[in-house]
Amino acid sequence: MIQFFGKSAELQLEKDVSTRYLPVVISAMIFLAALSIGGLFSLSKAISDWSETLTGNLTVEIAFDPTADLDKKVTDAVELLSATPGVAAARAIEQEETLKLLEPFLGKNAALGELPVPRLIEVIIAEDSAIDLAALNKKLVEAVPAARLDIHRPWLDKMVLLGRSIQLLAAGIMLLIGCVTVIIVIFAVRTGLIMHSEVIQVLHLIGARDNYIAEQFQNYFSRLSFLGALPGLIVAIIVMFIFNFLVSSLEASMLPPLSVGIEGAIALLLLPVLVALLTKYTVRQVVLKSLRRMM
Amino acid sequence: MVRFENVGMRYGLGPEVLRDISFNLLPGSFHFLTGPTGAGKSSLLKLLALSHRPSRGLITLFNKEVSSLARDDLPAMRRKIGVVYQDFRLLDHLSALDNVALPLKLAGAKNDQIYQHVAELLEWVGLGRQVDAKPPTLSGGEKQRVAIARAVINRPQLLIADEPTGSMDAEMGLRLMYLLQELNKIGTTVVVATHDLELISRFGNPVMYLKDGLLTTRAQDNPPPKESKDPA
Repeated sequence: MIQFFGKSAELQLEKDVSTRYLPVVISAMIFLAALSIGGLFSLSKAISDWSETLTGNLTVEIAFDPTADLDKKVTDAVELLSATPGVAAARAIEQEETLKLLEPFLGKNAALGELPVPRLIEVIIAEDSAIDLAALNKKLVEAVPAARLDIHRPWLDKMVLLGRSIQLLAAGIMLLIGCVTVIIVIFAVRTGLIMHSEVIQVLHLIGARDNYIAEQFQNYFSRLSFLGALPGLIVAIIVMFIFNFLVSSLEASMLPPLSVGIEGAIALLLLPVLVALLTKYTVRQVVLKSLRRMM
Repeated sequence: MVRFENVGMRYGLGPEVLRDISFNLLPGSFHFLTGPTGAGKSSLLKLLALSHRPSRGLITLFNKEVSSLARDDLPAMRRKIGVVYQDFRLLDHLSALDNVALPLKLAGAKNDQIYQHVAELLEWVGLGRQVDAKPPTLSGGEKQRVAIARAVINRPQLLIADEPTGSMDAEMGLRLMYLLQELNKIGTTVVVATHDLELISRFGNPVMYLKDGLLTTRAQDNPPPKESKDPA
């Protein structure tokens, strides 16, 4: 890898003490960036999954009433829904199944059986059907007065908004990490230029072009960035695996596991290359600008 | 080859260290530059080496006016100039061989050609056994010889030397002066700054005498002046 990036033969930047800790800083930056990317892509995937699941899915809720025959109401509602054009299926959710949905919030040992839990019916809308949900709700309420059609839309909209906000935050964090990395690299390069000003002057006077000198700096610093980025990325991936393991072992279904998908995985793997390229470009600009001030 | 017209130079906002310098060096000429310490010899050499720009006046090198040169033109111009610095300015982490090879490397010469020439030149200056030695392990005279070899390796059109024999014994000093003469005979214009009046009188080349930033003896097309006053 060192050969790939080239060595700074004349400037001997490899022996600089001032840049020794740059890989550590880059590593920390990449760790944070990788976690941000993990969050960004996981949320994106989660939002997409929610939308997909809930778009063709409705729930009918029949309010708890100890005096009413809830089973009959459920049966009536299922019959009405099944007979409605555009509805692919209507299924009454068993009481036990409903109570299981509450477990993550109330715990397994809670006295769930004593709760005034409403009865639920899962309705699946046929694909490409143009069903009038308002008319269906009206018809349902007329037939079964305690019934209410829940189309999930408001909840989904809020979740999508929340997800997008967090995505924006993650993108902002990425941008901040990029800016901080650039600033750190600029300071390191400027220090290097000062430390090696005599050698640079000699190289200039025996005919070295600015590009020749800039290449030695950019190769060295991009190598430092690349090699610093690798451990940061590896640690971030390990942390994501640990997070997923904890989520699954705690059965905490409120927290979705981190799942970045193929695009996210590619983005993560490209991080060291991108940071090396960003460093290379930054260093080149800084060095050429500084050299232009010399004769 | 080299023309200075009313050139002045100052460092930053300080006083002028060179004033109204005008001279003309013909191609293939050999001049000594002398004068007391602080007279401005090193500053004049810096202008010749394109390491500094004049604060006023015109400098023409190789038929090009220096102030009109673009930054990208400077490296090619500098490759035509060989400079031997008083403080050598060798790269301490490179071997003598690599130090001398550097100008050729920067000029894009091939490695096999580079190292053959460099080894031969180092042999000639008496450093054949120290090609792999790094400057910190060499004596002052040896460093000086490496610096001279680096300056002449790519056959410069203009060779500038600042006290090139200052760190050497008389025999090696003479030997190196003969090398400079040989280069001069094949067309290299040579300017040697020195305090060594004996050396100047031995070779009898034209002398430019600097005092308080003023050039009192100008290099002209006519034969060199024989004067060699003690600058001290």
